[in-house]
Amino acid sequence: MGASAHRIGALARHRVVLLRRSPGQVVVYTVMACLLTLVVEPMAELLPTAGVAAPPGARAAAGMLVFCSLFMAGVAGAAVVDERVWRTAERLRSTPARPAELLAGTALPLLGLLLVQQVVVLVVASTLYPTGLGPHWPRLLGVGTAWAACVLGIGLLLAAVTTTSAQLSTVKDLTALALSTTGGAVVPLAALPSWLAPAGRFSPAYWAVAGYLGGPAPAGTAVAVLAGVAVVTFATATVLLGRRRP
Amino acid sequence: MLDAEDLRASFGRVRALDGFTLAVGAGEVVGLIGPNGAGKSTFDRVVAGIVRPDGGSVRVAGVDSAREPYRARARLGLAGQDLALYPTATVRENLRLFAGLAGLGRRAGAQALERTCTELDLLDLLGRRVATLSGGQQRRVHAAAAMLPRPAVLLLDEPTVGADPTSRLALLGAVRTHAQEGAAVCYTTHYLPELDVLGATLAIAVAGRVVARGTRERLLAEAGTDDLDSVYRAWTAASPGPGAALAGTREA
Repeated sequence: MGASAHRIGALARHRVVLLRRSPGQVVVYTVMACLLTLVVEPMAELLPTAGVAAPPGARAAAGMLVFCSLFMAGVAGAAVVDERVWRTAERLRSTPARPAELLAGTALPLLGLLLVQQVVVLVVASTLYPTGLGPHWPRLLGVGTAWAACVLGIGLLLAAVTTTSAQLSTVKDLTALALSTTGGAVVPLAALPSWLAPAGRFSPAYWAVAGYLGGPAPAGTAVAVLAGVAVVTFATATVLLGRRRP
Repeated sequence: MLDAEDLRASFGRVRALDGFTLAVGAGEVVGLIGPNGAGKSTFDRVVAGIVRPDGGSVRVAGVDSAREPYRARARLGLAGQDLALYPTATVRENLRLFAGLAGLGRRAGAQALERTCTELDLLDLLGRRVATLSGGQQRRVHAAAAMLPRPAVLLLDEPTVGADPTSRLALLGAVRTHAQEGAAVCYTTHYLPELDVLGATLAIAVAGRVVARGTRERLLAEAGTDDLDSVYRAWTAASPGPGAALAGTREA
C-alpha cells in the first residue's frame, strides 16, 4: 500500500509540474467563465426560468461555469494524448506502476484543478452579483465534485478515441458545444427551440446546472447522474485505452 | 539474470518474434545486433512488459514476468529506441518521476540522481528543460531514467543514435559501470565498434530469432575471419530478411 501511494504521489507531483508549465488553457477557461458570467447576467434576468428560483446571477454563473468547464475536458484528454505523442506512455508501462496507479496519479491533480476552477468562478460571480449560493456550499461541493469527475471522464474518453492533439482539440470543442447547448448551460432549456429542449436531460450539462441551482432536478439526483456518467466514461476510456496496441 | 525462452509475438501478419531465445548473465553486456525488422526492439518491449508475447517465457532476475509482471519490471530499466521524456519538464523533474516510480524515496532518489547524472555528465543540465537540450544530451537523460534505480537488468535500444562523441563516451562509460556492478545489460546497436569498447558478447538476431550467440572471438573463429562486419553480413545474408517472417508464408 505504501509503495503504491508513493508511486501515485510521484505521478501526481509530476502532473502538477506539467500543468504549471502549460497553464494557458486552464487560465483562459476560468477567466472566460468569469467574464461571460459578468456579461450574461443581465440577459439571464430576461430569460424564462422554468420555475428555478435562483437569482439571475446564480443562473448565469452556473451556466457559464458548466459551459467553460466542459472545455477543460481537453486539458484532461491532453494528459493522455501528450503521453502518447511524447512516447512516455510506453515508458510508464515498463515501470512497476499499475494501470490504476497511473490513472490515479494523472486524475487526482486534474480533479483538483477542476474543483479550483469552480471555486474561483463561483466566488467571482458571487462578488459581482447576488447569487445566493453561499449558504448552499455543501450542495455545491457535492455537485462540483461529481461534475469535475464527469468532465475528467469525458476528457479521458475523448483521448481514448482520438490519436493526435489536433483531433482531440476538434472533438473536445464539438463535444463541449453540443453538451452545453443541449443541456441548457448556454441558453436555458425553457428558451431553447421546442425540438431541441427534450434532448436536454440526456446531457450531463443539464444535471450539472440543475445541481448547482437546486432545481428543476433535485441535487441528489443530479449528483447521482453525474457520478454515473463519470463511472461509465472512465470505464469505457480504460477499456479503449487498454486495447490500444503500443 | 535475464532468461528469455522461445518468445513469439505477431502484429497482424508480421511475426516479429519467432522463437527468440536469449540469456544474459549478471555482469554481462550482450550486444544485440541484426538487420532492421529482426525483432530486437520488440524483444526489449516484450521483456519490459509493454507487449504481451504470444508464447514463450521471460524471467527477470529470477522473476517470471508473466506471473509477476510488476515485480519483474521493478528489476529492469528500459531506454527504448525512441526518446521518451517530458519536454516541458526539467531534467531533474523527469528523473525524479522515474526515481519515484522505481520506489526510491526522497533521499535515495537524490543520491541516485546525483550518481547517475555524474556518470552521464548531466549535473550541469539538471535545471534545463528537456526541450532545450541537444539530441545527444536528451539521449543521455533518456538513458539516465533507465539507469537511475540501478536495475538488475538494463535494456538499451540504440542509446547512442544521434549522440555526439562526448555523449557517446559518457553513455558507454555508464554502461560499463553498470555491468561491473553486476547488472545484465542487453545493448542493441548498429555501431559494431561500440561492442568492442563494452567488451560485449554478441547475439545476432534475424527474422525474429537469435541465429548466432557467443563471444566476439568465438564467432570470428567459427567464421574464419577477423572482421566482425563479415561475420554479421554472413549471418544476415544466410537467413531470411525482414518481412519474410509473415505468418503462414515462412520460407523453409
